[in-house]
Amino acid sequence: MAGEEEQRPDKGFRLMGILDVQKIPCAREAILHGAGGSLAAGLLYFLATSRVKRSFDVGFAGFMVTTLGSWFYCRINNAKLRMQQRFIQEGLKNKVVYEGTVRDPTNKETPSGTP
Amino acid sequence: MAHPTQLGFQDAASPVMEELLHFHDHALMIVFMISTLVLYIIVAMVTTKLTNKYILDSQEIEIIWTVLPALILILIALPSLRILYLMDEINDPHLTIKAIGHQWYWSYEYTDYEELGFDSYMVPTQDLASGQFRLLDTDHRMVVPIESPIRMLISAEDVLHSWAVPSLGVKMDAVPGRLNQAAFIASRPGVFYGQCSEICGANQSFMPIVVEAVPLEHFEKWSSLMLEDA
Repeated sequence: MAGEEEQRPDKGFRLMGILDVQKIPCAREAILHGAGGSLAAGLLYFLATSRVKRSFDVGFAGFMVTTLGSWFYCRINNAKLRMQQRFIQEGLKNKVVYEGTVRDPTNKETPSGTP
Repeated sequence: MAHPTQLGFQDAASPVMEELLHFHDHALMIVFMISTLVLYIIVAMVTTKLTNKYILDSQEIEIIWTVLPALILILIALPSLRILYLMDEINDPHLTIKAIGHQWYWSYEYTDYEELGFDSYMVPTQDLASGQFRLLDTDHRMVVPIESPIRMLISAEDVLHSWAVPSLGVKMDAVPGRLNQAAFIASRPGVFYGQCSEICGANQSFMPIVVEAVPLEHFEKWSSLMLEDA
């Protein structure tokens, strides 16, 4: 156990000191997408209007929208995967219990008398 | 257990703690975005050359900065309430364990089938074996079977204590003359550490909690051995 302490993970990079983008699922992708969206939005606005300060504002708005959109999309998919994982784990546990019975999930034959 | 300089939560060892971790990530991202927005607005206001001494009102911005915080609060409150009710769900425990706080040690009683009880004292620093953790390890661990709902009945003999194990997502005050109930399921085998979380005197820091989650057959062997030794 003492040896394991020496292999403790890296501290990780915390954006603004609070958001650990390495450990939190979906955080890194959301920030990267946000950075890309910000750059794209700001650049396109500047090319269209040549207004520097307003381009930064638009870029920042793009960052917020893209980050949040990517974050929630990834988290919802993550949550669905976790639910599926739980069902599969329950199914694997129950497979042993229900093997050979009517409730066996691998039993493709339908019992007689059922519609 | 926590590693040195750790700031975040420990890895979850129970389904409730997993949900809490995910909620924390969700709330943290919202906090991060608000902080970024405020920082950007501050920088923009400090660097602007525009001045207007005659602004009296602006309906649009007032509506935005009223509606947006309300939406953000709803976005935080809904998952929070979901977890709150999840933690209060009625479950059918497989095992009931009583944890009683004393100055300054915990005692555990497994009285479902036989009368099994023992005290759990911190291992003093000078008596630590190689690989044991200072101020965290105890002479007797509270052993529980994995993937079984456990009901904890927590009380105290003398003053207020609090039974807390962060990786299981459990913290419950131990109040003299009162039984508080907490429940958890240990999803994976392992050893999970906690410390007394209510001020109870000079040695509050020296009455840790160690929960060892093992497969059921190991738990049965352990409880038989403990009963023989008793």
